[in-house]
Amino acid sequence: MKKKALLRAAAVVAMVCGLVWNAMAEEGVSDTEIHIGQWGPQTGPAAAWGSVARGTDAYFKMINAEGGINGRKLIHHMFDDAYNPAKTKAGVKELQEGTGMFAWVSGVGTAPGLAVRDYLMERQIPWIGPSSGSLHWIDPASKYLFPIYPLYYIEAKALVRHAVKDLGLKQVAIAYQNDDYGKNGVQGAKAELAQHGLQVVAEVPVEVKDTDMKPHVMQLRKSDADTVLLWVSPVHAVKIVGTSKAMNFTPQWMSTSTCSDFPLMMHISKGLWEGVIAATFAELPDADHPLLQKYQKDAYGKFAAKDERWGLFYYAGILFAEPLVEAIRRCGQDLTRERVVSELEGLKNFRGIGGEISYGPLDTAKAYETRQGMKEVFLVKCLKDGKAEKLSDWMAIQYP
Amino acid sequence: MLDFLQMLVSGVAVGSSYALVGLAMVIIYKTSEVPNFAQGEMALISSFFTFMLLEQCGFPYYAAFPLALLFAVLLGFFLEFTVLRRAKDPNILGMIAITIGIEMILLGLVSWKFGADPKTLPFPISPYDSIALGEVFISALEALTVGVALVIMLILFIFFRFSKLGVAMKATQQNDTAARLMGIRTNRILMFTWGVSSLVGCVAGLLISPITMQPYMMWDPLLKGFAAAVMGGMTSLPGAVLGAYLLGIIENLFGGYVSIEFKSVVAFAIIVLVLCIKPSGLFARHYVKKV
Amino acid sequence: MDMKRSYYEDVQLFTSGVVVFWFVALLLFLGLLPFLFKNYYVYVANYMAINVIVALGLNLLVGYTGQISLGHAGFFAIGAYGTVILMTLLRCPFLLALLAAALIAALFGFFLGLPALRLEGPYLAIATLGFGLTITQVIGRSEFFGGRQGLHTPELWVGPWHLTTDRDFYYLLIPITVMLTVAARNLIKTRVGRAFIAIREADIAAATMGVNLVFYKTLAFAVSAFYAGVGGGLYAFVLRFIEPEIFTLLMSIMFLAMVIVGGIGSIMGSIVGACLLSWMDLQLRNILSIPYLGDWLETLSQSYFSITGVSNIQYIVFGLILILIMLFEPLGILGIWLRTKRYWKTWPF
Repeated sequence: MKKKALLRAAAVVAMVCGLVWNAMAEEGVSDTEIHIGQWGPQTGPAAAWGSVARGTDAYFKMINAEGGINGRKLIHHMFDDAYNPAKTKAGVKELQEGTGMFAWVSGVGTAPGLAVRDYLMERQIPWIGPSSGSLHWIDPASKYLFPIYPLYYIEAKALVRHAVKDLGLKQVAIAYQNDDYGKNGVQGAKAELAQHGLQVVAEVPVEVKDTDMKPHVMQLRKSDADTVLLWVSPVHAVKIVGTSKAMNFTPQWMSTSTCSDFPLMMHISKGLWEGVIAATFAELPDADHPLLQKYQKDAYGKFAAKDERWGLFYYAGILFAEPLVEAIRRCGQDLTRERVVSELEGLKNFRGIGGEISYGPLDTAKAYETRQGMKEVFLVKCLKDGKAEKLSDWMAIQYP
Repeated sequence: MLDFLQMLVSGVAVGSSYALVGLAMVIIYKTSEVPNFAQGEMALISSFFTFMLLEQCGFPYYAAFPLALLFAVLLGFFLEFTVLRRAKDPNILGMIAITIGIEMILLGLVSWKFGADPKTLPFPISPYDSIALGEVFISALEALTVGVALVIMLILFIFFRFSKLGVAMKATQQNDTAARLMGIRTNRILMFTWGVSSLVGCVAGLLISPITMQPYMMWDPLLKGFAAAVMGGMTSLPGAVLGAYLLGIIENLFGGYVSIEFKSVVAFAIIVLVLCIKPSGLFARHYVKKV
Repeated sequence: MDMKRSYYEDVQLFTSGVVVFWFVALLLFLGLLPFLFKNYYVYVANYMAINVIVALGLNLLVGYTGQISLGHAGFFAIGAYGTVILMTLLRCPFLLALLAAALIAALFGFFLGLPALRLEGPYLAIATLGFGLTITQVIGRSEFFGGRQGLHTPELWVGPWHLTTDRDFYYLLIPITVMLTVAARNLIKTRVGRAFIAIREADIAAATMGVNLVFYKTLAFAVSAFYAGVGGGLYAFVLRFIEPEIFTLLMSIMFLAMVIVGGIGSIMGSIVGACLLSWMDLQLRNILSIPYLGDWLETLSQSYFSITGVSNIQYIVFGLILILIMLFEPLGILGIWLRTKRYWKTWPF
């Protein structure tokens, strides 16, 4: 017993020393380096979204090649969590308690993110731009969590608004993935329809495991919908559109940013994706946008693996890291977490390669205004060659 | 009524791909009593091999598909020869672990080579064109799948019943030692079994891939095919096919009339019920164990 | 092996002083582990301990009774959801909620054991697999269980202690694991265990000897489910967030693999198998940062495979290890250990 007490005392002393040391120099920062962590599934069923982390990696390498930020290089630690929350937590702990991360950026998925949110927030570690548009990130809002990805909820509102007001379509149905992502979409669609005095004509849940879409399409067809929102994964979306075509059911398809990578969608649907309208949150891959072109040339061109594709989710990895880089830049030499948080809170109408990003000092009653970074999306329509036609300018949308 | 007919047709269509995977599993189980969890991934790697030939090497269809089938057969031979034959006094659980290991390796190889982005296999028939029987639709690809499944079942049935090799396979299953004493080279028979099974699985993969292909695409067909095979009795070829059609139809009817959310699991509930009544499946003779 | 003179000697926990010594040494090591290693390894130890619990339970079913289950993720989910819901809704203290949830899992195990009376081999595999898939579907359907959006776990209080860190949780988890291990070991050594083994060897013969098949087979399922339920309840607090999609078929397969790789029908085997596979599960992602090997793999990907998919080597390594162990020793790691021991016993002769 006594031995144990002694050991405890030793541990306490060690921890106190650690704290003192921490107070002197912020964890994960030295005069030459800033350590930033990120997880992203490179394996497993969600591996297609792994390109987000690789995009961030190339972006940081580009910044380092240009001399870093205020003399410091960004050291990017990314790991593969296979979309398994237990592994996400393990990796975050290993990096945080081993090397010590200054901040975390992006991180794919709602469930993996939720498994580590409390851990990061309790330790007051800033986490910028989780790669999902879940309501979980602002409900409840946390001081150190800065979501960027526009809510699935507002994407649904934007699409429905376009369908009802501009296209004059009234019979809106939705096929949604039966999880947080899909249900957020249903909420948004219903809220917007209610404002126009309409209702959803059919809600069809799609399980992640489902491969046969015929029962789903039959339900959609029976509802006589003239517009169908696809709140599902790209593969399911293609299957639904294809099965519908085989069953002579051709409404106006609308989909989320998840399925807005048109060149990919066009290819895997063998051309059926033409005419689909989607909401998206970043400039188009071939847009005439100087910053985006710079990234394509300097980050993607120089640091991407040769089999990497310049797709939406690759440069979304850059988009989710831009505000953090900007905040670190504004901090100057005095780089601490608290300083970064206050710089982020001071970010107003910041525009990189996506919509405008603004935060404010944390106010839980106004979580959407003060913590949801991007509040706007724009709509695009898929053309024959996989190119996109812009249907709208950036549309700012309020929640709730 | 129209809906009902459509659901029946859809059920048969989706059942056909389950049937092919189920057949592949039955062939192996029949001779070696190994539930082969790697079946789906064997089909997966063959499908991606075809994809590589067509899309990356620019082979024409008439060369790529036969090559793919050949690849599948060789893969089956290879796995049996290098892995399963090496197992020291195998028990069934050990065999399950080995097939799970093979499954992981194949899955890893495919994802390593081709990445995770979804793809689609070029195919002579568009998977989205349909044949209309009045108001009931079936896509051309599905019609092809139904036809192929039936033909393969017929060929296998005749093969096992009438050909010398088929009879030898049956003998190996029933009594390994006796078969060997009768001059059957059981090792070779087992290898051949894996080849045939891999071939059938590859056909299933090739008929699924024209829609979309990604590394995890064979999980669901594998489970459903396994379930269908079990429902049919695990050793009976026609049983597996009928089980698969039954499964497909039940799924579609349940999805249409009761609950679409539980569609993908209802099959398993039904199987438990069926098995409670007929513990060896619908079409297998009940096997009484001697003490 | 010493001669056993009575049943009491058979159920004795410690057969000799050497065993006592190693047991105490092990307990000491477990007690000091959080001070010897970084906090990350405490988390890994927690993860392992939970898998050990589940593997022990599953081994009682698979290894000792000769049944098969591909649905243990279902019981795991019941344990996790049961514990969290009892705590948030009924304000149960943690340990009571954990026990109750595990008993609920055991009840489900009992019901699943009923059809299992008539099924075996692949038939049983499909039935249990269906159970595992259905349970998560049902949980996800019900808003009461938080639906697909998942549930956050409440604060963890055990008596007067508020457990917040991994280390706190470790000191709760390890005694539970040790207790359950000893319990499993005792169960095996007594009447019940002998009945299980008799059923595994030949169920009809066992029945003619007077072993009540209905009772013991369902009991095996119930006990096994109880262990999985305890594991699940603890797992919820390791993640502090649960949703139905966590409890996948892959998880069930992993549990089964732990038991088979460790060694069928052995307590020690389950422990080693669970530790090894959970370690690999968590650590293989670092394979590319191993010096030389990592670089070599990168070059290999560059020329023959794709770099974006290079992480999938994890699966290949995992599969290879699984196959190699099973090819060379059907009894798994336990078998390898036994052979090594036998070899060295008479060394150098």
